Amino acid sequence: MSIELVDKLTELLKQVTGFIYPNEIQIHWTLLIVVYPYITGLVAGAFILASLVKVFNVKEVQPTYRLAMLTALAFLIVAPLPLLLHLGHPERSYEIFLTPNLSSAMAMFGFVYAWYLMLVLLLEIWFEYRKDMVLWGKTEKFPMNWFYKILSLFSTDISEKAVAFDKKAVKAITIVGIPSAFILHGYVGFIFGSVKANPWWSSVLIPIVFLFSAIVSGIAIVLLLYMIITTSRGKQIDMKCLDRVASFLLYAVIVDFSLEVLDFIHRLYESEESITIITTMVLNKLSISLIVMQILLGMLLPLGILIIVKIFRFNQELRKLLYFVSAIMIQIGIFSTRWNVVIGGQMFSKSFRGLLTYKMEIFGLEGLLMAVFLLILPFLILTVLLKVLPPWGKNNETNTT
Amino acid sequence: MKIFFTKVPDPIIRLVIVFGVFFGVILFVRGFVIPKELKEKGIHRTSAIERELASEIHYAGSGICAECHDEEYDLKNEGYHQKLSCEVCHGPAMEHTEEPDDFTPPAPRQRKFCPECHTYNPSRPTGFPQINPVAHNPLRPCIDCHNPHDPKPLTVPRECSACHAQIAITKAGSHHVMLECTVCHDTPDEHKSTPRLIRAGKPVKRDLCASCHDKDSGVKEVPKIDVYTHGEKYVCWQCHSPHMPEVNHE
Ligand code: HEC
Ligand code: HEC
Ligand code: HEC
Ligand code: HEC
Ligand code: HEC
Ligand code: HEC
Ligand code: HEC
Ligand code: HEC
Repeated sequence: MSIELVDKLTELLKQVTGFIYPNEIQIHWTLLIVVYPYITGLVAGAFILASLVKVFNVKEVQPTYRLAMLTALAFLIVAPLPLLLHLGHPERSYEIFLTPNLSSAMAMFGFVYAWYLMLVLLLEIWFEYRKDMVLWGKTEKFPMNWFYKILSLFSTDISEKAVAFDKKAVKAITIVGIPSAFILHGYVGFIFGSVKANPWWSSVLIPIVFLFSAIVSGIAIVLLLYMIITTSRGKQIDMKCLDRVASFLLYAVIVDFSLEVLDFIHRLYESEESITIITTMVLNKLSISLIVMQILLGMLLPLGILIIVKIFRFNQELRKLLYFVSAIMIQIGIFSTRWNVVIGGQMFSKSFRGLLTYKMEIFGLEGLLMAVFLLILPFLILTVLLKVLPPWGKNNETNTT
Repeated sequence: MKIFFTKVPDPIIRLVIVFGVFFGVILFVRGFVIPKELKEKGIHRTSAIERELASEIHYAGSGICAECHDEEYDLKNEGYHQKLSCEVCHGPAMEHTEEPDDFTPPAPRQRKFCPECHTYNPSRPTGFPQINPVAHNPLRPCIDCHNPHDPKPLTVPRECSACHAQIAITKAGSHHVMLECTVCHDTPDEHKSTPRLIRAGKPVKRDLCASCHDKDSGVKEVPKIDVYTHGEKYVCWQCHSPHMPEVNHE
């Protein structure tokens, strides 16, 4: 035993209460596994918001459509990274792609991911931007014109008929995309919900709760991005759009909250043998992250704010401020939800008689800095995407859709 | 043919080509580029095992230490620490066995090391020597008094609690607090010095409990039952924990 390991174990051992099995002292699914469902959730949520425009014809939220799609793409690109880094040997992770295992539930993510990335997001974005790319291929300077030509796969047809076909294709893909987005995040919930041995995870409701919290966080992130980007471009925020997005956010929060309450009541009523240790854990180890951050700050407060905004018609500036604040709090809340699910599920002993502690690393592959980096990365990618495929068109030409 | 192609919208053809190329590349890669070993069906790839075999070895195992440190080796193998590997305490020592003069493994002389295994913890097996590091001869390194290679107890412990701390703690909070362990356990003195060789006795019949609890026993201030009817044919400790007898008075 190296002295550092002894030090680390000694520190952790002191935090243990009650009885735990010897191999439980180290928590294996760490911060990165918290980041993973959080990011995938944003993808699914942003996509669902975008689909409102195309499938349900909610005209007001049109200004956020392209932004939502690009946001989903940016986050989707980052989504597998936390998993690959978590494997401990990221440099070998390519082997997973070369040797897909068809019988592993975990490996299914690769397939769900590939389907969603290629057949939903990329295709839809391609059809949505095809006309613009053809135009930019003509108007931009070298070398960007070639870049757009390649992106548009050298198509040139921008006749009315062709554009109408693009629209139809976008709609068709969105219709396929909605269940795909459900599957994408439902899958993430499934991975937790199907662990029979862990009473904190094992619940058929988990995939659904995951899905709705994903929708909540996705709508909130697009709302935030829309406000920030529009303001920084010196443009006027479309209040009709903002109000509408905020209402959807409110409805999603209500559904999500009811589902979580349902899950909670269900557990309490079932009162399986694990309920004692889970109650102790929630009251002690998770009191801040679950009761304060997730429920009070991340759920009830934004819920209250959004309801108040709905009832009283405040002026624009105040509304913007309140939306902004609640969207940020929702992000914090959903991140805490992920934390409480992932880390919480490993903080009690499978003997149901003891609690342990997670000590976060700062540096290292699974440390805090890496997690922060992974959370910033999608925004960097999004910046590039917004430069390359500006949702608002180039050179102040009017939005083409 | 021509008519068919003009009917399919232009973007679809382009996309089909892209996807076709994409899947073509995948099939090609799977077919020809991926080395054979990656396509093995077994749980472990042979090459992965070879790769692990090729990685540097850090631990040498206990046997080899005997070649040069036969004194420590023999000493340890007779004592309580016989089941511990040398490198559990001295860390990986492969390099040392190859270049004994250039690399010497550290020896854990600090006090905080030994409690890693010996701190009192209810999950440790019964009889495992456990101490409370705060109270047990504080501040001095453990090796002042115990030889790490032959940690004989300096004196035979007097109390059963030295090794059965969990049970002693349980009993101390129970109705049986006043009962000595030996009332119920017939324990030879040698059990305290060689616990695994000389066993302590365990009650086997309900008579023991009945000697105090039967309504005719005559012992005072003890809750009474009728041994012949109470609990039927079962031994008492199938229902009452002997070290923490509890009754649900409702
Ligand atoms: C080839 C002979 C050889 C083998 C095999 C060997 N040692 Fe040593 N060891 C030595 C020598 C020689 C020294 C004295 C080096 C010195 O004092 O600089 C030493 C010193 C040590 C020390 C003393 C360090 C100190 O702080 O005083 C430890 C501990 C030790 N060896 C452990 C081990 C262990 C554990 C193994 C088995 C994995 C092992 N040795 C195998 C030759 C060997
Ligand atoms: C329980 C932990 C433990 C185990 C197991 C253990 N050692 Fe040690 N060893 C120590 C400690 C502690 C010291 C330092 C003793 C001292 O400084 O008085 C030490 C010292 C030594 C030394 C240096 C001797 C000296 O007087 O400086 C050698 C050599 C050594 N050990 C070899 C071994 C070998 C070989 C084995 C396996 C057969 C072994 N040890 C197993 C804890 C251990
Ligand atoms: C890797 C775990 C481990 C470490 C580290 C360890 N021990 Fe032990 N110790 C044991 C085991 C196992 C036994 C034997 C228990 C048995 O016989 O049931 C034991 C037995 C003992 C005993 C005998 C107690 C008795 O009366 O039965 C003493 C004293 C002791 N160790 C002291 C030490 C000291 C001092 C150190 C630090 C140098 C140390 N131990 C480090 C595992 C460890
Ligand atoms: C001042 C000398 C001294 C020091 C220092 C010391 N011990 Fe002991 N240890 C004893 C004596 C004497 C006994 C046997 C009597 C008893 O039970 O207290 C003992 C017993 C033990 C036992 C066996 C339990 C038992 O009661 O049989 C263990 C294990 C043990 N010590 C571990 C340690 C560890 C670990 C350290 C360092 C944290 C340590 N000792 C430091 C003197 C010491
Ligand atoms: C030096 C440590 C030590 C002391 C002191 C000690 N025991 Fe034990 N005892 C053990 C160990 C070790 C075992 C486990 C033996 C085994 O399972 O192989 C054990 C086992 C037992 C058992 C169970 C036997 C069985 O067959 O399951 C009883 C009962 C017991 N001890 C009673 C006592 C009583 C009563 C005392 C005090 C008078 C006492 N022991 C003092 C170490 C000790
Ligand atoms: C009222 C009587 C009684 C007293 C007092 C008592 N025991 Fe026991 N003990 C029992 C009985 C009965 C069993 C057998 C339980 C069984 O076989 O399931 C037992 C089992 C044990 C065992 C072996 C089972 C195990 O849990 O590993 C140990 C060790 C033991 N006792 C130690 C002690 C020690 C040490 C004390 C004093 C602190 C003590 N006992 C006091 C009645 C008693
Ligand atoms: C030496 C006498 C003695 C023996 C032997 C004895 N007990 Fe007791 N027991 C007592 C005394 C004294 C009390 C009551 C202490 C009090 O009033 O708090 C008691 C209390 C109890 C209680 C009642 C606790 C309550 O909540 O009222 C139970 C049950 C019990 N013992 C079970 C057992 C069993 C089972 C055994 C056999 C393994 C046993 N006792 C052996 C003396 C004994
Ligand atoms: C089948 C399970 C069972 C067995 C076997 C059993 N008991 Fe009980 N015992 C109980 C229950 C249940 C109670 C509490 C209900 C009651 O007060 O009648 C109880 C109560 C007691 C009490 C408390 C009585 C009082 O008035 O406070 C004592 C003392 C006691 N048992 C001793 C024994 C002894 C001694 C034996 C072995 C001869 C024994 N029990 C065997 C189930 C059992």
